Amino acid sequence: MNPVLQVEELSKSFPGVQALQRVSLDLHEGEVHVLVGENGAGKSTLIKLICGMYPLEGGKMTYKGAPYAPLTPHDAIKSGIRVVYQEFNLLPYLSVAENIFFDSLPRKHGLVDFKKLHSDAERVLDRVGLNVSPTMPVELLGVAQMQLLEIAKAVSAECSVLILDEPTATLSPKDTDNLFGIIHDLKKQGLAIIYISHHLKEIYEIGDTVTVLRNGERVETCSIHDVRIPDLVAMMVGRKMESEYPFRDDIKQTGKVILSVRNLCFKGNTNPVSFELREGELLGISGLVGSKRTETLRAIFGADPKEGGEILLNGSPLEIGSPKEAVEAGLSLLTEDRKNQGLVLDMSLSANITLADLSRVSNAGLLRVSAEREASKKLSSELGIKTPSIRQLARNLSGGNQQKLVLAKWLFRDAKVLMFDEPTRGIDVGAKYEIYLLLWELLAEDKGILLVSSDLNELMGICHRIIVFSNGRITGDLKREEFSQERILECAYKEYIG
Amino acid sequence: MRKLLSVVLAVSLLILLPCAAGAAEKPVVGLVMKSLANEFFKTMEEGARKYAAEDGTFELIPVGMNSETDIDTQINAMENFIAKKVDLIVLAPADSVGLVPSVKKAVDAGIPVVNFDVTLDKKALVDNGLPENFLFVGPDNTLGSELVGDFMAEKLGKGAKVIIIEGNPGADNAKQRKEGFMKTVEKYELDLLASNTAHWETEEANTLMTNLLTKHPDVQGVMCANDSMALGVVKAIEAAGMLGKIEVVGFDNIGACQQLIKEGKMLATVDQFGPEMAANAIKVGFRILGGEKLDGWEKTPVKVVSAADLK
Amino acid sequence: MRKKFIYFLLNEAGIGLILAALCIGFSIFVPNFASLHNVTNIFTQISINTVIAVGMTFVILLGGIDLSVGSVLSLCTIVAGLFMTKEGVPLPVAISGAIVLSLLAGMVCGLFNGWVSETWKIHAFVVTLGMLNIARGVALQVSGSRTIFSFPKAFNEVGTLTFGGVPLIFIVAVTLVLIGQFVLNKTVFGRLIYAIGNNEEAVRLSGHNTKRYKVSAYVICGAMVGIAAILYMLRLNIASPILGVGFELSAIAAVVIGGTSMAGGKGSLIGTFIGAGIMGVLNNGLLLIGLSDFIRQIVTGGIIVVAVVLDTYRVKFSHMLLK
Repeated sequence: MNPVLQVEELSKSFPGVQALQRVSLDLHEGEVHVLVGENGAGKSTLIKLICGMYPLEGGKMTYKGAPYAPLTPHDAIKSGIRVVYQEFNLLPYLSVAENIFFDSLPRKHGLVDFKKLHSDAERVLDRVGLNVSPTMPVELLGVAQMQLLEIAKAVSAECSVLILDEPTATLSPKDTDNLFGIIHDLKKQGLAIIYISHHLKEIYEIGDTVTVLRNGERVETCSIHDVRIPDLVAMMVGRKMESEYPFRDDIKQTGKVILSVRNLCFKGNTNPVSFELREGELLGISGLVGSKRTETLRAIFGADPKEGGEILLNGSPLEIGSPKEAVEAGLSLLTEDRKNQGLVLDMSLSANITLADLSRVSNAGLLRVSAEREASKKLSSELGIKTPSIRQLARNLSGGNQQKLVLAKWLFRDAKVLMFDEPTRGIDVGAKYEIYLLLWELLAEDKGILLVSSDLNELMGICHRIIVFSNGRITGDLKREEFSQERILECAYKEYIG
Repeated sequence: MRKLLSVVLAVSLLILLPCAAGAAEKPVVGLVMKSLANEFFKTMEEGARKYAAEDGTFELIPVGMNSETDIDTQINAMENFIAKKVDLIVLAPADSVGLVPSVKKAVDAGIPVVNFDVTLDKKALVDNGLPENFLFVGPDNTLGSELVGDFMAEKLGKGAKVIIIEGNPGADNAKQRKEGFMKTVEKYELDLLASNTAHWETEEANTLMTNLLTKHPDVQGVMCANDSMALGVVKAIEAAGMLGKIEVVGFDNIGACQQLIKEGKMLATVDQFGPEMAANAIKVGFRILGGEKLDGWEKTPVKVVSAADLK
Repeated sequence: MRKKFIYFLLNEAGIGLILAALCIGFSIFVPNFASLHNVTNIFTQISINTVIAVGMTFVILLGGIDLSVGSVLSLCTIVAGLFMTKEGVPLPVAISGAIVLSLLAGMVCGLFNGWVSETWKIHAFVVTLGMLNIARGVALQVSGSRTIFSFPKAFNEVGTLTFGGVPLIFIVAVTLVLIGQFVLNKTVFGRLIYAIGNNEEAVRLSGHNTKRYKVSAYVICGAMVGIAAILYMLRLNIASPILGVGFELSAIAAVVIGGTSMAGGKGSLIGTFIGAGIMGVLNNGLLLIGLSDFIRQIVTGGIIVVAVVLDTYRVKFSHMLLK
């Protein structure tokens, strides 16, 4: 059978970088073709060439037997190649139906034919198993529903190739299962799907073929069942990693409590929260989405107002009313949303690194430019941030490097307690591994770390202890030897069951 | 029982009060002014208040605007006065066309309207079913600027090189004042080097004049459509070190310009007796209330003010 | 080598290239344009707008706006003018007092703008629109809507001082641009202004009191207006409650033409200065050509739009060159 889309020796370069080098790929009807590779490996560039965001530079494409060279994204859409990006492209105040058919609203006498619009929308929504009213404003949808709406939008018109970019990054396990079901259905209907993911486990559930990219080149294409995860990882990073999760047992556990949270109350939580963090300890926080993990960290940090309770650092009570006071006391918060809350994207690497402690690179309010340059050079090389220059804008870094940059900011501040909220979400295995190693370096310096993560394997792999939130209450406090997926999930669901 | 009593009391009060008030009430005059931020209109309004206080036989309700072009405030004021059933409305229209429908409403409601300061548009009056020669009380802007222009031309002699600094394009008094200046230009065969607007503004007039001096360093006289602009023009001439070589005339007779005239930096300005203008209009209005039938233009005086008058 | 030079020129000189082009064009086609006398005039004419635009740049860099600058300028002249013309105050006190009062009046208005909009999270557009009316009203009330004049002779004479053709008030304006540029680029304060303009939440979560910085920017803007008010009085020797109408638009135009993003976080004071220069040169040059008022207005508007459009191509073109 002929492939529906045939990509031959595509190349693309940007100033100073060869982003893609002679990459070929065949995509067949009813196939889920998985693309894996570290950030910067060329996955996004390849997608953007296919969907017309970049003009073709070298190589050629054949689509349904005819040469295919889209000049604009619109060309791609017209030919039936649709992309669902990680960042949604929805109009929040318009209805579900209007979003689906925004490009081609059905008309009658020059006015929008709402009756037809809504019945058409319902048909499409059925197809992707999204059970919401077509008239609902999009802003009221959850993340998973928006994801499905994007897919609905893509398949609403003629569509033969569907490209999904990290569709599960923000989904809960249940929503992910649901999504996979829908992908299976679409596959049966004959769609060809390109699926990009960092979740190596899930691609085995959904994929047929896998292509591994590294540094803009194709390393391997094969049936997914012919390779194992460690082999994939090795191909992606170009070296062998000892294990996915490094755990060091040589970190001194003095047992000394550094952070103690007592009866913390904040808006929206009914049960006061109490727990302790010890020196050199990596304390994981688990729980379902909405179990108030993030909110707890924000309340400790003063990012949102606190309504009661005490926070003690090294035994002395802290009065924290704003992030400024928290930072001055030695706390730090690495938020889940690094782009919107962690980094100043349109400023340089070095400006971002020194942002939390400008007093170290200034004198009476005047910036010491050379001191700043030295300090940021040192930190960015220590952390292995891949960038041509520290004057590079944060926006131009890959996800993993951006996460390291946020980390660098707090290392520069020399915070005693680091609170991480989903630090490895959306970044590739290689970068993840490096971040774990960095966490261990920090622990070796007698710091304490709080780590919120939705990835149970990650928590179980690297934490000393895990506390589990369930609906705003701490329902479990497990030591490393007690870790098991079942225990954690049991605790996480406790408050929702009876 | 008690309740009933209080209701009766209240009702009787409601009926009686207006009568009682009405008996002692003086005629009410609504005065619709232009922007009180403008010194000229501010003094005019003060003059009217003073007249009302001295006269004592009527009650005055003055209403101003926020800016020269804010006609909505004027239209609202007209409507309020009509609703209140005042005895007389005295109006300085900010827009000679836009206010005509409101005038028509007032006339239909039986309230006499005296138009002053700027004439209502003739065509608009006819279109709205009002007489073309609707009563207007006010100075002759064209005559005023012609007089002060002539005063300068006499001094400079025939064929002198002059510049006109215009007011807001579109404003009626700006058009009329330019018209007056143009009459002088024709009469004395003056060489008109440039005629530009500075939108009544001091700073803009200063910038404009500075630039015009570069282009026309041989200019001998400048005619400004108001005194605020004359201030900026004189300052520009002073900065260029050309004081005494160029004569400047203005319009409005504001304090700052009187000072300049006394110092000899400016030649003359026009006084249209602003403080009395509104008062005059009110007086004319009472003649109508007294039964006279008036129409056409009741001219108020204009006078050239020069150093000789300010001694 | 030559390519690199053009790249450098396109990137670093920015919108200044357009100003240079305008100046060269006018010099060739308009007699007197390049005369020392005319250049002095242009310097004088752009000074006040430049100073206001310096303050406006700080505010716009934070993603804010200040619509009240024209009215506040008028209020500052009234406050300073009333004090300076007070009977029986010795000359040095009268002049220095007037300067201090003008600055204070501007800063108080700025503090109000910043504090109200930050405390109740109201968009600065609304708050400063309110201040536009408040300041104008106070100026009219305090002055009895009269123009104040007859300042001390010494004061009036300073206004026309020039040094080798460079007017004093222009020197003040350029000094403020340079100081401002230094503050923005070389101080912690300036760094945080840019950072907040880019991503306020990230800066707050990095442990900074962002509200304080935002309010400060409005106070700086107010102080600049206070200085501009003194420059106005020096230049025209009057103080009036009706002056300054529309000054906010000129200042915003200078800032935006100069390349500062209305969304905040991007821009420079050198750009703002060039923006003010473009407006001043256009106003002067087109008049000298002898265009009528209305045509001049049309051409000025057109050139401003074209300049900004061209500027977007400049960046693209410079990258193409380098490839």
